[in-house]
Amino acid sequence: MDLVANNLSYKPDDQYHLNEVSFNFKEGNLYTILGRTLSGKTTLLKTIAGLLTPDSGEIEFDGKNFLKIPVWERNVAMVYQQFINYPHLNVFENIAFPLKQRKIDQSIIKEKVMDALKSVGLLGYENRKIQELSGGQQQRVSLARSLVKNAKILLLDEPLVNLDYKLREQLREEFKNLFSKGLADETILIYSTTDPRETMELNGEVIVLDEGKVLQVGPAKEIFENPNSLKVAEISNDPPMNIIEAKILDNHIRFEGIDVEAPQHLSKLTEDGLKIGLRSSDIELGENGHEFEVELAEISGSETLLHLKRGDTKIIVSIEEVLNFKIHDKVKINFKIGRAYAFHADGKLASSPFGGLNG
Amino acid sequence: MNFKHKYFFLFPGLFVLIGILIFPIIFVVRLSLSGWNSYNPGLDYIGFENYIRLFTDDPRFWESFFRLSFLSVTTVILQYVIGFALAHMVWKDIKFKRFFRVLFLVPMMTTPVIMTVIWRTFFHESLGPVNDLLSVFGVAPKWLTDPVIAKFTVIIVEVWQWTPFMFLLLLAGLLSLPKEPFLAAAIDGASPVRKFIYVTFPLMAPISIGAIIIRLIEASKIMDTVYVLTSGGPGTSTETSSFYIFIKGLREFQMGYAASMSFTYLIIMIISLTIIAKVLTKVLLKE
Repeated sequence: MDLVANNLSYKPDDQYHLNEVSFNFKEGNLYTILGRTLSGKTTLLKTIAGLLTPDSGEIEFDGKNFLKIPVWERNVAMVYQQFINYPHLNVFENIAFPLKQRKIDQSIIKEKVMDALKSVGLLGYENRKIQELSGGQQQRVSLARSLVKNAKILLLDEPLVNLDYKLREQLREEFKNLFSKGLADETILIYSTTDPRETMELNGEVIVLDEGKVLQVGPAKEIFENPNSLKVAEISNDPPMNIIEAKILDNHIRFEGIDVEAPQHLSKLTEDGLKIGLRSSDIELGENGHEFEVELAEISGSETLLHLKRGDTKIIVSIEEVLNFKIHDKVKINFKIGRAYAFHADGKLASSPFGGLNG
Repeated sequence: MNFKHKYFFLFPGLFVLIGILIFPIIFVVRLSLSGWNSYNPGLDYIGFENYIRLFTDDPRFWESFFRLSFLSVTTVILQYVIGFALAHMVWKDIKFKRFFRVLFLVPMMTTPVIMTVIWRTFFHESLGPVNDLLSVFGVAPKWLTDPVIAKFTVIIVEVWQWTPFMFLLLLAGLLSLPKEPFLAAAIDGASPVRKFIYVTFPLMAPISIGAIIIRLIEASKIMDTVYVLTSGGPGTSTETSSFYIFIKGLREFQMGYAASMSFTYLIIMIISLTIIAKVLTKVLLKE
């Protein structure tokens, strides 16, 4: 049972929320929609769920016109980024709600709810009021509510974004386990996120969305290794990939008075307006490196993000260590230039170290 | 907190409270133990004679009380149902929403006594427009002079006059509800009808209880409508407790006896409304 969309467009104001979006989702697979905020992720999920009707385009599921089916008959489950539950019901009743909408035997409901509670680690909480739970627990309840109905399509709209760091890590881990436990056998799982790390960890098919448009579709590894444009490279990296305007001449990359030997996959590109892309993790501190000035140093978790400047070129370097720098300090860095990307002036990928469009 | 002058500062409030609430209640209790009437005005002491008379020898009071219970419960239920339906209607996105919101409030902005006079004219047996229209079907109900129909005439007027108040309270309640549970319910497979039963209605329970109690208190004071529409008639068939007490106290000047009725009425109301509130809370909030 495939979920197929053709040219979905939705333009409620002067901006496209969805712009000619097409996809073909196959059952048993995990799809990750990666995009920045306001890129149309939630709109897309709401359209699939039936909470929004697109201006044009079609959705077909199991060969039927999905847009003609009202929300409550679509057999879709959804978890929102806000923890949405029923405030007037306790945990058990919340999870049982979707089952009660169908005529299912009480004892079966009880069994299924208990199973769902177990799988999200909330056994023993069934009589609690929703307001008495923490944010993470509330999100688990809504996850359990979406699991319990065995929907054919499970939509998760940035489910971790409103949780604190620790809970996010923990729940992300649990999601991975849940998804791999065969839950997705006949389910189409669609997960939207702004976080490239989450996308890579979930390791499904990725749809990169920006301003309502699909920029690239492919396995997570492919998106990471061969982003087809500057935009995708920006969206799929956190911190965003460094973009350096450079010139390649005689096998050498030159910018801001720096001169490095071009790796093989870049050596043939000599056009004007070329942009070199390098991940923040592909730059390292080194004694014999090029001198840059520190503009800002942030420590996040166990890594340090250095915002560096040299002339007009600004780059971000991430170092897996907690280091103290002051503004205007001088640091020396080396580029792992073998891992550099090149993009044409119009933003399209010119060459990647993983073989995309090589030469 | 130990503050030397607190009674000085509390005094104005306490004075008003004592003057308008506590003194009248105490005075009514004392009055009910007296035989004050037009021949014998004064606070003499006759013991519980008035109460004995009330409980053993005055079926008219109890009839008026049960009539009042019937009228107030029926009108409040109708007001709640109609008010909820109207509020639910303009809560959704419909055309001319603002227009309807104002329209439904119009009865509340009118003066009840004047509107009742107009209703009385409407329902006049031979001259009123209602029977004029109904004559097309060959019927002419005695709106104001039939003992049974007159009760329903009172209910119609009361419902018309006070449904807007219920509408206003319930609309405010609906507008204050969170939107998220409704999104969730649609996705969880609840059709619009089930969504109302399982989400809207339970979420509205606390507001409903408040609105019903407020209207019950108001409705049990029903007096002006009856006074203008039927004057309790025909016979005593639309007479309510407050109207009967008014007749005994301020027309026949049996002050002592009227006081004993008022006090009994007050006690019954406090007890019954407490029970009603408890029951409603239990049923609607499952607590």
